[in-house]
Amino acid sequence: MSTHSTIEDGIDDAATTVGSVWPIHSFVTANPLSGFEDMTFGEAVTQATDLLGGRGYPSRETFRMALDDGRIDPERLESALADRGYDADPETLLERVDAGAESGARTDESDADESDTAAERVDTVLAKWLSAFLDEGHATWSMPNREDGFYAAFRELAPHDGEIPDSGVLASLPDTPVETIEAVLEPYPEGQWVPIFEEQLAALPGWTGLIKQRAADGGAWQSACPITLAGYLAVRLALLDGFGVDVEPSTGPDAPDADPTDEVAEAFLSAWEASYRSAVVDRVSAESRKRAESDPSERPDAQLVFCIDTRSEVIRRHIEAAGEYETHGYAGFFGIPMEYRGYDAEVSVDACPPILDAQHRISEVPTDGEAKDRHNRWSSVREVAGEVVKKLKTNPASAFGFVENAGSGYGLALAARTLIPGRVHGLLDTADAAVPDDHEFCDQIVRHQHTHAGDLPVGLTREERVEYAATAFELMGWTEFGRLVAFVGHASETTNNPYDSSLDCGACAGNPGGPNARVLAEICADPDVRAALRDRGFEIPEDTVFLAGEHNTTTDEIELYGDVPESHADDLEGLRADLAAAREDATAERASSMGGDAAASVDETERRAADWAETRPEWGLAGNAGFVVGPRELTSDLDLDGRAFLHSYDWSTDPDGDALEAILTGPMVVTQWINAQYYFSTVDNAVYGSGSKVTHNPVGNVGVYQGNGGDLMTGLPLQSLMAADDEPYHQPLRLSTVVHAPVERVAEALADHEAVVQLLDNDWLSLTVVDPTQEHRAFEYERDMEWRPAPEPAASDPAAADPEAPAAPEREPAPAAADD
Amino acid sequence: MSGSTPKQTVGALPDTTTDSPFVPVALTWLTWSLFAASLAALFGRVRLGFAPEVPGVVAVDGLTVLMWVVVAFFSGIVHSYSRRYMAGSANETEFFLAVFGFSIAVMALVAADHVALFGALWLAMGLLMAKLIGVVSGWEQARAAAAVARRSFLASSALLGVALAALWWATGATTVSGIAASADALGGPVWLLAAVALVLAAMIQSALVPFHGWLLSSMTAPTPASALMHAGFVNAGGVLLLRFAPVVTVDERLMLAIVAVGAASALLGKLLKSVRADVKSKLACSTSGQMGFMIMQAGLGFFGAAITHLVLHGFYKAYQFLGSGQLVERTSPEKKARRATGGSGVADVAVMLLTGLAGGAAFVLLTGKGTSVDSGLLLVLFVVFTTLHAARSAVRHVSLPASVRYGAIPLVFLPAITVYALVYKGVSGLLTGVPVASAPTELTALHGLVAVAFLAAYVAIEAGVHERSRRLYVALLNAGQPSPGTVLTNANEYDNGGAQ
Repeated sequence: MSTHSTIEDGIDDAATTVGSVWPIHSFVTANPLSGFEDMTFGEAVTQATDLLGGRGYPSRETFRMALDDGRIDPERLESALADRGYDADPETLLERVDAGAESGARTDESDADESDTAAERVDTVLAKWLSAFLDEGHATWSMPNREDGFYAAFRELAPHDGEIPDSGVLASLPDTPVETIEAVLEPYPEGQWVPIFEEQLAALPGWTGLIKQRAADGGAWQSACPITLAGYLAVRLALLDGFGVDVEPSTGPDAPDADPTDEVAEAFLSAWEASYRSAVVDRVSAESRKRAESDPSERPDAQLVFCIDTRSEVIRRHIEAAGEYETHGYAGFFGIPMEYRGYDAEVSVDACPPILDAQHRISEVPTDGEAKDRHNRWSSVREVAGEVVKKLKTNPASAFGFVENAGSGYGLALAARTLIPGRVHGLLDTADAAVPDDHEFCDQIVRHQHTHAGDLPVGLTREERVEYAATAFELMGWTEFGRLVAFVGHASETTNNPYDSSLDCGACAGNPGGPNARVLAEICADPDVRAALRDRGFEIPEDTVFLAGEHNTTTDEIELYGDVPESHADDLEGLRADLAAAREDATAERASSMGGDAAASVDETERRAADWAETRPEWGLAGNAGFVVGPRELTSDLDLDGRAFLHSYDWSTDPDGDALEAILTGPMVVTQWINAQYYFSTVDNAVYGSGSKVTHNPVGNVGVYQGNGGDLMTGLPLQSLMAADDEPYHQPLRLSTVVHAPVERVAEALADHEAVVQLLDNDWLSLTVVDPTQEHRAFEYERDMEWRPAPEPAASDPAAADPEAPAAPEREPAPAAADD
Repeated sequence: MSGSTPKQTVGALPDTTTDSPFVPVALTWLTWSLFAASLAALFGRVRLGFAPEVPGVVAVDGLTVLMWVVVAFFSGIVHSYSRRYMAGSANETEFFLAVFGFSIAVMALVAADHVALFGALWLAMGLLMAKLIGVVSGWEQARAAAAVARRSFLASSALLGVALAALWWATGATTVSGIAASADALGGPVWLLAAVALVLAAMIQSALVPFHGWLLSSMTAPTPASALMHAGFVNAGGVLLLRFAPVVTVDERLMLAIVAVGAASALLGKLLKSVRADVKSKLACSTSGQMGFMIMQAGLGFFGAAITHLVLHGFYKAYQFLGSGQLVERTSPEKKARRATGGSGVADVAVMLLTGLAGGAAFVLLTGKGTSVDSGLLLVLFVVFTTLHAARSAVRHVSLPASVRYGAIPLVFLPAITVYALVYKGVSGLLTGVPVASAPTELTALHGLVAVAFLAAYVAIEAGVHERSRRLYVALLNAGQPSPGTVLTNANEYDNGGAQ
C-alpha cells in the first residue's frame, strides 16, 4: 500500500526538524536544532525561526553589553564586518540588529483570525490529552486504555469529551492512525504532505519532542503506554479537521528568506567568538612552546581524573595548587557505556552519553550484611511512611484529618526551611549519615555474569574490562602512574529543583558520575587487568592504588570512596586534607561569581544546596565557550574561570591518531550539544529555554509548564543562564575547540567522519589546532578540510591581547606580567 | 603546580553583584515586625484582655489577633522565601509591594467593623491577589489569568455588597458587630437574600466547586504568591462565615445547605485532584476540597474547628507550594502493581479497629467535640477514618517488623491528635468573645447522607470502582482544566519581562 508508506516516510522526514526533548528527571543537554545540523548555522536558525518562531542570535542589548565590557575585540569586529561587505561604523550596524524583529515576529498574535483561534483550541485540547497520556505516575487515576497506545486511547475517550466537536473525521475515527491521516490529507497534493507534517509537528514542539524521544528510546513507559508520532499526528489532524482549521502549509517548498540583519548579528557573534578564542589559543601556543623546553615532571603524589565538564576546571586548579597533584580530564562516564541500577533503585538509568547506547548492565550487590540491614530498615520505614501519607492524602475520607494532624509539623518545617536553610543542610547531613550509602555496603557486579538484564549482558568480560581501562589511559596519554589514582565523577546537590539532573553529569545523560568512576577503579584494581595492561605498554607500578569518588559540584566537596591498604593510608589522609583545602578555595571563587560571601564560602554553597528558596544553587556549565584537547600543562597556569571543557590528550603517545579520533567524534560532539543548548536557551529563553523558575509548574514527572499548562517548556531555565532577568551571565558563544596536535593528524582523524566535518563546515563550532611540530603555531579549520594559519598574537603584552578579561582587576593582580 | 602564583585569567565572566533592592528588604523587615506585634497583641489578648476599638469602625477581638498572627506568619515566610526566590526577577518590587499590600488588607479586614470598610477591604484583597496572579505583566496568559480571577473577586465583592446592604437595611446597623447583635430578629426574604449572598461570596473566595475555575487558572502567579493564596486568601471564606455566623445560623436549613455544598466540594475536589498530572493544579484541586471541608465544618456549627482547619491547612499547603519543585520523581510503570498484601488476619483487623477507635476517643476526650449526640459526631467519624486508614496502610506491610507495623501509627497519631486538640482548644479559647463560635446542629438525615457519601467514596477509591467509568474520567479531566485563554500553547508568547 503505497500511500501508507508515503505517509510513514513523510512523517519520518518531517520529524528530523523536531528537537528531542528528554524527560526532566534525566535532562539531557542537547542542541534544540540538532535536526538542522545538515545546514549551515545561518540557514538553520533562519528555518527554525520560520518554523518555531525562536530567535537565532543574541539580542542587540547582549552585543551592546559585550562591546561595552570590551569582550569583542574592535579590530576583529571590523574585519568580521568587512568580510561580509559592511563598512559602516559598528555602532550604526548594531542598531540594525533586531530592528526587524521588533516590528515583526512577536506581534503576529495581534492579527489572529478565526482560524488561529480554532488552532489554539486544538492545541489546548491536545495539550490536555498529551499531559494525561504521557504522565509518568503523577496522577493517581491515569488515563484509561493507555496500554492500547495514544491513538486508540484517544479514539476511545473522544466521544465522551464535550470539548471535541463531532464533525469531520472525528465523527467516526478510522481504526488506524494512517487511515485518519490519509482521510484528512486527501484534499491536498502529496507534495504538500511533508510541509504539512513539519508545520503540525512544530506546533507544540515541547510535547512533540518528548514523543519523538520516547518513541525512539523505547523505555519502560513507552512499552507500557506506547505513542508514535503517527498516532499523535493522526489525532492532531483529526482535531484540526473537526475544528475546521485549514492545514494548507503557510510556507512553500522554498527556503524562507533570511533576515538581512542576521548577517550583521552573525558578524558580531563571530567577532565575539574570535576574541575569546584567540585569548585561549594564544595562551595555549605560548604554554606549548614553554612545555617543549621544560623537563618532564616528577612522579606526582596522586593523580585525579575528572570529567571534562567546565566545572572541573575550577576545582582542578585549586587541587593542583594544594599539593603535588596531577589532574586530568576524561569524559565523565569514564568510557563505560553502562546501564546502572543502584541498590534498591526503582529504575535503572543509562549512565552514558546520549550519543551512545548502553552496552552493559551494572548492578549492585550488598556485601556488608549489618550495614545493609540498617539501610533496609531505614529505607523500608521511609518508604512505608511515604506510602501511608500518600494514601491518607488521596482518600477523601482521610485527607482532611491528615491535614489537621500534620499541619503543625508542616508549619515548623516551613519556618525552618525558609529561615534557617543552612542549618537544615547540617540536619539532613546528620540524618543521611545515619543511613549507610549504597557504595558503603555494596559492590558492583563488574565481572561478566553470563546473564542478561533485559537486552544487556550483566557485567563486563575480561577483554572489555582491559579495553575500557586501556582506552582511558590511551585517550589521556598516560605514561606514568602515581601512588594514588582517583577517578572522580560528579553530581550536583540541590533541592526543590526540577532541573537538578541538568546539573548532573552530562556525559552520564544527566546522572551522577560516581558509579561509573567506581566501575573503572574496580577494573583497574583487578590484577588480571593490570597484567594485560602491562602487555599493552602501560607500566602500572605495584604501589599504585586506584580509587573512585564523586565531586559535588554544588558544594565542591569531593568524597573518595572506600579504603586503601595500610601502606597508602597516609597518602590518602593527606589527599583528603588537601581536597578539603582546595574546596575552600574553589567555593570562595565560585561564591563571588554567585554574589555570595567568599569568606564563608563553604557554608554559602551548602546553604545553596539545601535551600528550597534558592533558584541558582550553582552555575552549572553556564559560561561554557571553549574545549581544550591537550596535556594539562597547556592550561594549568591559566585561570579559565570554569568556561572551558578540558580533555587530557598527548599527541606524542598517539602516533596513529586513534585516541584523537575518539575524542573528536565522542567528547567533542557531546560538548557541542551542551554548548548549543546553553547558546539557544540564552538567545531565546522562551522558545528554546524554559523561562523563569518562579512560575514553573512541573507536569507528569516528565517536564515543566509555564503557569497553567499548554506546551511543555524545553531547555534550560532562565536562572541557569542569567544573573537577573535583565543581566546575562552565560555568554552565548558557539564552542571553540582547541586541539594540541599536528595538523595533518587532526585532518586524518576527521577524514572518515563526515558528520563531524559537516558540523565544522556548517559553523556549529570552530576548531583550532595548535601544532607542536610547526613552531606551536595555530591553524584554524576553515571548511572542506582546509586550514589557515591563525592571526599571530597582536603584541607582547598578553593583557592587551586578551580582550575577554578586561574588567577583572581583582582576579588579575599582576596585569602585564608576561608569562608568570 | 604553581602554588600561590596568581594565574592569568582568560575570558573571565563578570562576577554577579548582590545589590539587595531596598523595597524587598524593607518590607520583609516590616512584615516580621508586624508578626512580633501580632504576637504581642495575642499575648495581650490572652493575658490582659486586649481589645482596642474605634467604635463603629474597627474592633479587635480574638479572631482578629489570631488571624493577625497567622497572616503575618505566612506573609513573613513568603517575604523571606521570596527574597531569595524572586531575586533578579523583573517584577520583584511590584511583587513585594502587592504581597505586602495584600497582607495589610487581610490584617485590616479581620479588624474592620464598619460594613463599608469591611466591604472595601474585601474588594482590595481580591484586587491585590488578582494583581499577583498577573504580576508578570508582559505575559499574555498571566494577564488573562488575572482577568479571570478579577472577575471572580468582583463578583464575590458584589455579592458581599448585596449582603451587607440587605443586612444594613434589615437591622439598621452599620457595623459587623451591630449586625451580629441584632441578627436574632432577622428572617424572611431579606435575610435569605443576605445569607445566600454571603454563602456564595464565601464559596467564590474559597474556590469551592463549582467556583474553582479562578484558582485552577492562577498558576501564572509566582510560586510564593500561590503559597500565600492557598494559605491566606482562600481562608477568607471561612472568616466571612464566622464573622456573620449569627446571620447564617438563624435557620438550620441554611446550615444544612452549607454542609451540603461544603461536603460536595470536599469530595469533588479530591476527585478532580486524582486525574491531574501537573503539580500545581493538583494542589489547587486539593485546596478546593480542603476548603469544602472547612466550610462543611462551619455548616456543622463548629466555626472554631473551621478556623483551626484553615490555619493548619495553610501550613500544609504553603509548604507544598513552596516545595513544589521537589515533586518530580523518576518512576516506573510497574510501581502501582506492587501492592502490600497483609492486613487480613484477625489480629491485623483488631489492631486497625482499635487504633482507629483510640484515635477517635482521644479526639473526643481532648477536644470535647462529639461528646453529645449532635453534628460533632461527624467530625469524630473523620478522625476515626483517618487513623483507621493509616493503621490499615501500615499493617498491610508484612515486611516491616511487627512493632513498627502495629505500633508506629498509634505512636505517631496519638501525639498528632493531641497537638491538634491543643491548637483547637487554643483557637476556641481565643474565639470565646466572638458572638457565635460554636453552634452544633442537630443530627439530620442529611448528616447521615454526608457520612454515607464519604464512606462510599472511601470504599470506592480503595477498591478503584470509580475508575471503571470513562465518562467520569473525561468529565473530571475537563472540569479541572484552566480557563483556555490562560494556557501557554505557544512558547513564543511567554515573556517574563526581562530585557532579553
